[in-house]
Amino acid sequence: MPSLRSIRGRIKSVKNTRQITKAMEMVASAKMRKAQARVRDTRPYAEKIRELLGRLSAIEAHRPNIFFQQKPVKTIGIILVSTDRGLCGPINANVFKQVNRFMAERPGVAFEFVVVGKKGQDFVRRGGLKAVGSVTGVKDKGQIEEILPATQVAIEEYTKGQWDEVWVFYTEFVSTLSQKARSQQLLPILPETEPDGTKKPSPFLGEYLYEPGTAEILEVLIPRYFETLVFQRVMENFASEYSARMMAMRNATSNAKEVIYQMTLVYNKLRQAAITREISEIASGADAVQQG
Amino acid sequence: MSFMLSLLTQERVLVTEEVDFVKAKGVDGEFGVLTGHTPFITLLDPGELVVRKGDALYSYYVSGGVAEVLPKSMIVLANTVERADDINLELARTARKNAEEALSKPISEIERRTYLLELKRENVRLNIASRRHSPSHPGQIAED
Repeated sequence: MPSLRSIRGRIKSVKNTRQITKAMEMVASAKMRKAQARVRDTRPYAEKIRELLGRLSAIEAHRPNIFFQQKPVKTIGIILVSTDRGLCGPINANVFKQVNRFMAERPGVAFEFVVVGKKGQDFVRRGGLKAVGSVTGVKDKGQIEEILPATQVAIEEYTKGQWDEVWVFYTEFVSTLSQKARSQQLLPILPETEPDGTKKPSPFLGEYLYEPGTAEILEVLIPRYFETLVFQRVMENFASEYSARMMAMRNATSNAKEVIYQMTLVYNKLRQAAITREISEIASGADAVQQG
Repeated sequence: MSFMLSLLTQERVLVTEEVDFVKAKGVDGEFGVLTGHTPFITLLDPGELVVRKGDALYSYYVSGGVAEVLPKSMIVLANTVERADDINLELARTARKNAEEALSKPISEIERRTYLLELKRENVRLNIASRRHSPSHPGQIAED
């Protein structure tokens, strides 16, 4: 039987934990609201530029451009978007699982990583994988500049021909209750396909007019496309992180409540037992005195 | 006949709605867009983007970017956008003065180019701001 004092100590410590998790829940939910708004604001640009380049990649004249060219795949570059901190549910683990599955499905292919977030760094180090660049401490304020080092490394590797494909792995924000690990091919840019795999029909027949010229436009569009998509995925990841943390902390808080309730019950029982025992001891002591 | 205009930056959505006419500044000059325009893609110069919807005109300052025009839609992927009403005249004037001052001094070629660009940009912004159109703008999302 635990002593009264030790139970009292444990109740106190669980109460402290509950306070911490409660505070973390509130912080996460405040940040989550902003991060969700940011996801809502950044998605349209990313989707539109992706669609636009998808349409351009379907045009035969652009084929020679290396960013549209499919090559035999020897090395795949993976941009792994993870969080800096833990205590945010299973979202990092789910992304890592997806990366592992992705690698297992492609035997004979080499993988190199550009990592965003500390947890991703740990994953790459633990797995003995090769990282060519990493960014940590990215803020959730929506500043694209912060992730540019990562995208530049990736674009360079691809342009040099070191990488034959570039993929991004991240956690998509679906809703507060649901976040999904996703992977997506960024380079080379492929024509958009319908869900059944057929080519999406072009919204018009023929070609665009270009001002000033195709080359200049692609030179501007492609880096922008790449940066924007990675940036947007990082924003998705933030919204997912905060949502997952809020839910994790909410669960932790309610678990702590439950534990406190149970322990208080035991504590009171013990206290009652102690009182009863004491009374009966006094009573029997008094009896002994009277009889004697 | 209206078409769908999306005016977007990487950070936010400014307009997504049906409009009647758009005038923008491409690198090869200003162009107007009506429904049924030939598909074309252009880089944008710093300049004004004017949107007409019904009788209302709306004006934006676009610092550059890319526009894709399709027969039934137009997408402007802008670097930065300011609503004409949001341009701070004071700030723009100061910036222009600074650029002019810097240009009057002997400076390197690269610096000179930067300041010339800055000067051009501020002139465009001031121009837009001085003949603002309408107090309200379409497709404005709440900012928090």
